[in-house]
Amino acid sequence: MALLTPYSKVPELNTATVLLVENEEELQSKLANALVQYEKDFNVNVRLARKLPLPVENKETRPRIDLIVFLVNLLSERSLQSVESSLAHLHSDCFLGKVCFLVTDARCGSHTQERLVSVRKLAAAHQCPVLCAEHRTVDGVNAAAVRLLNILKVSAGMSPIATTALYLSSLTRCSVTSDLEED
Amino acid sequence: MDAQVRSVLRRVIQRIPNKNIENLLKKWNCLSADQLCALDYTRPKWMIVEQVTSFCEENRLNLKHITNLEMIYHIENPDKGVWHACQLTEAQDDAVGVDLTQFKEQFKAHLHGVVRHISIKIKKHEDEAIWIRIAWGDNFSKPNHLKPTYVVHHLHTSYVFISNLMAKHKIFLSISVATKHGSIKDGHLSTRSLTAMRELLLRRYQQVTYPGSLSGSLQAKSNVYPCIGKEHSEHEEMRYQMSCEAFGHGPTPKLETAVYRLETRYRGNGNHTLSDREEFFRGVVRFSSSSLLDSLRHCVASGMAEGPVTPLLSAITQRGRNYFVITDKGPGVSSQASAQRA
Repeated sequence: MALLTPYSKVPELNTATVLLVENEEELQSKLANALVQYEKDFNVNVRLARKLPLPVENKETRPRIDLIVFLVNLLSERSLQSVESSLAHLHSDCFLGKVCFLVTDARCGSHTQERLVSVRKLAAAHQCPVLCAEHRTVDGVNAAAVRLLNILKVSAGMSPIATTALYLSSLTRCSVTSDLEED
Repeated sequence: MDAQVRSVLRRVIQRIPNKNIENLLKKWNCLSADQLCALDYTRPKWMIVEQVTSFCEENRLNLKHITNLEMIYHIENPDKGVWHACQLTEAQDDAVGVDLTQFKEQFKAHLHGVVRHISIKIKKHEDEAIWIRIAWGDNFSKPNHLKPTYVVHHLHTSYVFISNLMAKHKIFLSISVATKHGSIKDGHLSTRSLTAMRELLLRRYQQVTYPGSLSGSLQAKSNVYPCIGKEHSEHEEMRYQMSCEAFGHGPTPKLETAVYRLETRYRGNGNHTLSDREEFFRGVVRFSSSSLLDSLRHCVASGMAEGPVTPLLSAITQRGRNYFVITDKGPGVSSQASAQRA
């Protein structure tokens, strides 16, 4: 089974690539536009996918991916299931600071709370950060893009201070407290 | 003008929104220019009705003129009421050669022969459609002009569209319309919008003519920034192609519902009490939307419904129906019936 590996390709000069994985394919295009517009210092490439594994045909043309973001819509059960099955297609090296979860609709209703707990447990098990975003307004999408760009800068090695992705992830990774574990 | 004529007139004017009345009266051309100027359309509806009634009395208009007005209103606004489609079958050899006058004579002669008191009005519209208004009476009473039936037929096609027909009059109408055809059968298509029905059956919407003609149209639509790349773009194109083949591309006819009546046996693997029975599991699956074909096309193109498009859904456009009865004829039926969960 071909796994997505983070270091198998050579990075490009002054360029960072982020892969947005979302089952519904709604938020990813808006987020992609915001990401490309906001960053002026370096080039941002965005790849949009529905799930992993990625098609083999694109393997040659695909640039090296610096950050993989899983977009989970907490209102849909299928969204979370798709992310769980996609995680199996990532090489374990990716989890050293190159994977991040972005959830939306975390405040709508009761089922979303349960799903948020599952996402946080999943993220804690893989040592990745979880971001909550509000996707229905332009400001919300832009705010999420700015936060993702901050993480992307570090993952791609563009941060001026010598911060590595591994160091950042150990600071930002999701932790599950004991009262959550009792649920 | 007697009471019946006045009530028909009142009913017609009350149905029309005030802003459309002026145009309609101008088209009708039965009121003089001074009378038209004297009408004030900002007044409440009952005042406008009174004014128009008094003008009609002045001009000594009779029932024929009023029914003409009602017909003009319906021709201008075909999307009111519920329309049903019927299909004429078993065309005789000279069916293609029927021209308008022949059709009119035969239709009127036939209906007058069958029903004693009846009032028929036939008008030909620019786009080859014949509009027929029928007010039904019976052997003892005069025609009821408050509940007329409207029939639209395009000559040289085999489709007839009917609105507001009571069951007891159905037999009379069907014999009369099928002048050069052997029989008439129910088209299993009913909508609120006559334009949608015509577009669907007469194939007036944009259909995909040959496969592969759409590849690249999707790319052209969505590429804003060149640095944003889609991994699954081929799949997306394929899904878009499939959805357009089934439902056309561009604006689709505005159907509102599709109804599937199931008379099949239950074949789920969970619930044993249901699946062991001999009798049919009768159910009705109903899809409703403000524009059903657009919704179904989006379902397929976005991947919510798995492709290839099931023939149960594509039959709506391929066969021009929105009422289906699914019976237990073959092994493929149950798997298709369970695909309706979208």
